[in-house]
Amino acid sequence: MSAAEAPSLTAELLGRTWLSPRVFQLELARPPGLSFAAGQRVRIHRGPVERDYTLACGPAAPTLRLLVRLVEQGVVSGLLAETRLGASLVLSGPHGYFVFRDASVASVFVATGTGVAPFVAMAASGVCPSLLLHGVKRPEDLHYRVLLSKAAARYVPCLTEGPHRPEDPDPAYPGRVVAWLRDRLPAGVYDFYLCGNAAMIRDVTLLVDERFPGSRVFAEGFH
Amino acid sequence: MRESTHRLGSGDKGMTSLFSGERVSKNHDRIEACGALDELGSVLGALASALSAAVLPSAEAATTEGASRLGSEIQRVQGELLSAGAWLATTPGSASRGMLRPFGPEPTGHLEAAVERIQAALPPLEHFILAGGHPVASWAHVARAVCRRAERQALRLAVPASGPDPELANILAYLNRLSFYLFVAARYCNQLFGTPERTWQG
Repeated sequence: MSAAEAPSLTAELLGRTWLSPRVFQLELARPPGLSFAAGQRVRIHRGPVERDYTLACGPAAPTLRLLVRLVEQGVVSGLLAETRLGASLVLSGPHGYFVFRDASVASVFVATGTGVAPFVAMAASGVCPSLLLHGVKRPEDLHYRVLLSKAAARYVPCLTEGPHRPEDPDPAYPGRVVAWLRDRLPAGVYDFYLCGNAAMIRDVTLLVDERFPGSRVFAEGFH
Repeated sequence: MRESTHRLGSGDKGMTSLFSGERVSKNHDRIEACGALDELGSVLGALASALSAAVLPSAEAATTEGASRLGSEIQRVQGELLSAGAWLATTPGSASRGMLRPFGPEPTGHLEAAVERIQAALPPLEHFILAGGHPVASWAHVARAVCRRAERQALRLAVPASGPDPELANILAYLNRLSFYLFVAARYCNQLFGTPERTWQG
């Protein structure tokens, strides 16, 4: 594992796309010399403040893509929402070990909110999970739904607030991802990849210990 | 903000994850070994703090220089223990091992060079000595004893049936050398701060 490194990269901000009222996607010019594995993060430095964001693009992508949730009173996300296009951002990285390891058993990817970013990167690099669950509050938060439903053998959107439309051809599950896993995932040994809020990671991990012994868990939480 | 270890409560029932993903009991041999390295790193932190506090502004240049060099070495060792812990937390043969920096023989070589340097400044040892003396030296002795335990616990991971594990072999050699380094460091600290060694008269 590597020690923390000083910021050493700069990247021009090329574009910003709002995906929902509080989530936007940034496109950055790829700094020369930056190589990374799908699922790794870059750290954005703004003076003394720094925040990590997972790259939501494959390792071979010509530009970098970040998925950013605008946090209430968030220093960095607020600045990123307003930084003018063409400005340079200071980065370091890549960081983190939340990468796909191997495929000896069925892989179950579980994301909440913008925790879906590493799975977007893995999908772009050709990883095909057996199951991908994406838990959000409302349908408009299901970013990358089309891409992910094609990449995973089975894609299950989960909505905690709704609206729930059972008549839809591809209806979302009405509830938390952990409830779907508890009620619908057959007993067995899996590799679970979890990315999202701490409560989801805690609850799914405890469920794995109870219901899916012998499984492996790789997790990355954020708050 | 991302937090890779932020799993509030997922270990409340006594289980935890290895770096290679397996869920294991918190008293699993790998976790025990990692815990001992963690404890050793923490004791080394206490040693470094005590060392820093013991050097008064009025200290002679040789004392300041000797303590500063020792402090740098301790800090480097703390980093090496984190690297060693990552290896011990990863199942041999797993794909996750490919993500780790090799733990080669170089850190052991650094310790051997440091032992040689420190020993050259010490009087020969003619009796057993009792742990203690100056508080900084006492911390070094505590670290030495914890290091020996970490070595014993790491040794439990050497399972002949699972084949050769070069990294574990390097880590075991490193811990063996580190405990000796801490022994001579304890003697050196007593010398540095003018505290006589207590010999065992048994």
